[in-house]
Parts: sequence; C-alpha cells; structure tokens
Amino acid sequence: MTTLTKPVGIVGASRRSARFAAGGVRGLLVVGLGLFILAPLLMLVLWAFAADWFYPSAFPSAWTISWWSTVLGGNHLSSTVLWSFIFAPTVTIVSAIICMPAAYAFARKDFPGKRLMMMAIFATNAFPKMGLYIAMASLFYSLNLMGTFVGVVIIQLLNTLVTMTWIPAAAFASVPVSLEEAARDVGAGPIRTFFRVTFPVARPGIIVALILAFLASLDEAQGTFLVGVPKYVTMPVQMYSLVSGYPGPATAVFAILLTVPSLVLLVLVRKHVFSSSLAQGYRLR
Amino acid sequence: MSVVTEAPPVDRTGSSRRTRRIRRIARRVVPFGAGSLPVLVTLAFTGFPVVLAVLYTLGKTGGFNETISRVGQHQVQARHGLSLGAYRNFFASHALRADLFITLWVTLASTAALVALAWMLALFVRFSGGWIGRLISTLYVVPMFIPSVIASYALVTFWEQNGKLAAIFYQLGIPNGWMPGFTSTGVVLGLVWTNIPFAVILLSSSLQGVPEVLIEAARDVGSSWWRIIWSVLLPLNRLPTIIVIVFTATGTLGNFTIPDIMGPNAPQMLGVAMTKYYQSYGQPQQAEVMAVLVFLAALVLSAFYVASSRADRKRNAARGSARAAVK
Repeated sequence: MTTLTKPVGIVGASRRSARFAAGGVRGLLVVGLGLFILAPLLMLVLWAFAADWFYPSAFPSAWTISWWSTVLGGNHLSSTVLWSFIFAPTVTIVSAIICMPAAYAFARKDFPGKRLMMMAIFATNAFPKMGLYIAMASLFYSLNLMGTFVGVVIIQLLNTLVTMTWIPAAAFASVPVSLEEAARDVGAGPIRTFFRVTFPVARPGIIVALILAFLASLDEAQGTFLVGVPKYVTMPVQMYSLVSGYPGPATAVFAILLTVPSLVLLVLVRKHVFSSSLAQGYRLR
Repeated sequence: MSVVTEAPPVDRTGSSRRTRRIRRIARRVVPFGAGSLPVLVTLAFTGFPVVLAVLYTLGKTGGFNETISRVGQHQVQARHGLSLGAYRNFFASHALRADLFITLWVTLASTAALVALAWMLALFVRFSGGWIGRLISTLYVVPMFIPSVIASYALVTFWEQNGKLAAIFYQLGIPNGWMPGFTSTGVVLGLVWTNIPFAVILLSSSLQGVPEVLIEAARDVGSSWWRIIWSVLLPLNRLPTIIVIVFTATGTLGNFTIPDIMGPNAPQMLGVAMTKYYQSYGQPQQAEVMAVLVFLAALVLSAFYVASSRADRKRNAARGSARAAVK
C-alpha cells in the first residue's frame, strides 16, 4: 500500500479536515435546498392567516382566519375540486386503456415502424401547447367538441400519452421472457400468464405511469381553460383567475386547499415515485 | 428445452394450415394495431393540427383554417403557393426578436442550472446515506406534487420586490436591492424549481446502477472524487443526462404558466407571447409562427436525443456481444 509510506498522522488530519469540509458542504446543501424548495410554500401558509402584512415586516402584524371562511363559503371551491377529481381519474383511465396495450406491444412484439411510432407519440411534447390549441380550435369547433366533457378529456389526454406509453413499455420489457415461458410451460394460458406473471412484475412502472398521468391532468390549466370554460372549471383554471384578480391572502388559502389533495397523493405514493421505472421509461430501445 | 417433451404438431384437416397462417398474420397485426392506438390519437389531435398550423403560417387560410382566419387580423394570405410573409413579419419586429432571444436564453440558462443542481443532488442521494440522503430525497420530490400555477404564485410572491424574502433580508440587515420577482432570472429559478424532481429521479436512479466495484477500483488507484465523477460517473450517465436536457429544454421552450406568472411584461418568452397574440391581439397567424419556431427548436433537440440513444444502444449491443465472445 502506498499510503503506508506517508506519515500516518498527516493523512489522518487531512482526511479528518476533508471529512469536516464535506460535512459542511453537505449541511449547507441540505439547508439551501430546504429553503429554496420549502420557504416559498411556508410563506404561503403564513400569508393565508395574515390580516395585515406590509413590507418590511418579516411576519404578519395581525392574524385572522376570515380568508378561510371567505373562500370556503364562496361557490368557487367545491365545484372546481369536484371537476378536477372527475377529470383526473377519467383521463388516467382513458389514457391507460389507449396506451397500455400499445406499451405491451412495444415491449414484447416486433413489428415494422415500432420505433417511429414511439417517436411520433413524443411529438405531443415537442409542439408548444398554445400553438396546438389554436390549430385545434377549428377541429374542435367542426367536431362540436368545444365546451364539452369529451373535449376537455382529449386536451388533458395529450399530456399523458408519452409517460403512459414509454414507462409501462420499459416495465414490460424488464420482465424476463424466461419467466413467462416458464409459466406457459406449466400450462398457463397467455391471459393467465399476463395477469399472474407479467403484470405483477411490471406493476411498479405501471403505477408510476398512472400517478404521472393523474398529476398531469390535475396540473393542466391552459387547454382546459380554452376548451372547458365556462362549464368545466378545474382547480388550476380557477387558481389562474384568482392569481390575477383576488387579494393575496384569499389566493393563498385557495392555493393551500388545492395543494392538499396532491400532498395526500405524495404521501401515499412516495415510495413508488423513487423506483427506477420512471428513468427506464425514457431510454429508447 | 421443452421441444423434446412436446408432441409433434398434428395436421388435422386442410383448414388448419389456413388458421395457422391467419394466426401468424394476427401475431403481427394485433401488436401493430395495439401500438398504433396512441399513435392515431397523436396524429388526430397533434399531427393534423400541426400540419394545419404550419400551412396557416405559410399563408394557407382556406379549408380547416377558415374558421380561425375569419377572426384573425394582420394575416398574410398566399394567393398561389406558399408565402413566408408571416415569418418575415416576425423577424422584422424588434419586440418579437427580443422575445425569441429571451426564450432561447431562459431555456439555456435554466437547463444548465438544472443539470448542475440535479447532478449534485443525485450524487448526494447516491453516496451519502443516513438522514442527509433521506432528507434530500424527501425534499426534492415535493415540487412534483405542487401544481405549477400554485408553485409559480408562491415563488413569485416570495421573492418579488418588497416581497417576503426582501422583508426577511431587510430584518437581517442584508442589502436587498435586487429581487428575482418578475424578471427573466426569476423565471429561470422557477423552472429549476419545478423541474428538479424529474431530473433528480432520472439521474439518481441511473447512478444507483453504477457498480460499486468500479468506484472502489477508481478509489484504490487514488482517484479524487472529482476525477471519479468526471471519468467514471459522467460517461456512464451520459444518456440520462441528455434525456434530462432534452425533455426539460423542450418543455421550457413552449412553457406558458411559469413565465406568465413569474416573468416580466417584456421581453416575454414565446409561450406567453403566442397566447397574448392569440387571445388579446387577435392575431392567431402570428401566434402560430411563434409556435412553429419553437417547434423547430424542439425538433433539433429531439434529433439530438434520438441520435444519442441510438449510439447508446449500439454501444450496449457491442458490449453485449463482446461479453458473449469472452464467455
């Protein structure tokens, strides 16, 4: 070992100081990241209880809960939450029905134009959404989809196609073929093999795709506004009009209420999001 | 193999050959059909409108574009063939050139900052175990679950001029002359904030895949951490890094919500400008010109992604066959 030729004490000291410096950097990074990500959100919470808050005081000078009764008593909230939670599961399910068989086919079967088809789905991400909505307006008017439930579902669906195809495709591809063959050898039919072998192994990737589709639908504001207003106002659409037209604390209350469902979802699905399925999905095979 | 135990296929009747042929065709057609389902949706509601949009910007105002061109002002109409007039108008406008420039600048700056930060966080998640690693990996997913409208609102009210951050700085006696609220720098920070989860998940999960042996070996020959990152980890994670760059840059180029809520009134990013040109100024054609320009930039990035994932696939195939040869 080469380290033995050096005086041991110096190596120990330099290593200790290096470790100390690394610890400092690590601590700074954690604190910095925590402030960067959480501080704006925490300030929003304070804001929601502020009666008076003027620069340059760091905290509100008077507190109130009147903004909560204003928002909860108004008629904005319940219907927007309802619509959001009708659209998000609908879009997720429709997207799964359209994309899952395709994902399985992309992963397991070979047919002409496979890679081209996967790239064509990616095109939904590349063209700016607003440009798409303008061009789609003519199409939607002539198909009578403007202001309809189906129209909003189609708009939100477009944001989910890539994740719903690519990630499950990678998940299906990661199931060893030998496992399926073993099931077939002992007499399981193709359907039984799929549901008892392939699907359970691929499940983490499928769950990640479902979560991402659900979140994409919950997040979509621009297209839903253009197609859905005035009947279908979802939470982010309502939030958009509040940002420009309401007093700060009321907007903050609304923002907090709208974040609650997502945070519940975060707690429920946290461990799935960390699986490698998401990363695998974006590697083109 | 199971072939030995299996009975040879019995040719029962003449029609069995036909059913076998049908089955063989079905085996190719059914996957193709399944695969084409999302492609058809994409073609109908993205491909077709995009073709319409491109034709519209080139002066074709008839057909499906007639509805939109009836409400449009300052349109360039091509009587015969195609016209680049709408694009000429775009580049003749000083304000729109500034918008194009700021779009490219914000995309470049936010993607670069994101990749640097995400790499750092991914390295910490991979190599520092214990509570620090756990804390970081809890923190970085939070933005994924905050709707972007709410995130942009929270961020911009936090760091606007005379906002909460400025107030805290004032109380602590830190000079607070400049704040990122309603500036393009603020937009860059906001984009980094919202894109952190995607980037770190991608990078850290591919860092988990780097064999411990490789890092140990590099450390044994006395490589510094920087050297290990630069010559071991970075080359092995080239593709995930490129994926992060391409997907966030593509999303940023046409982004509307974040620059609209967090950005300045001028210059605007093109995602905001095209919305204003359509909704407020009644100029859908000019808006579509911007969309096509953004699309072209996104296509260049996508081509880069396709090329590098093809190179990666070839390299993996080569490595696989080399390994097979050694065995």
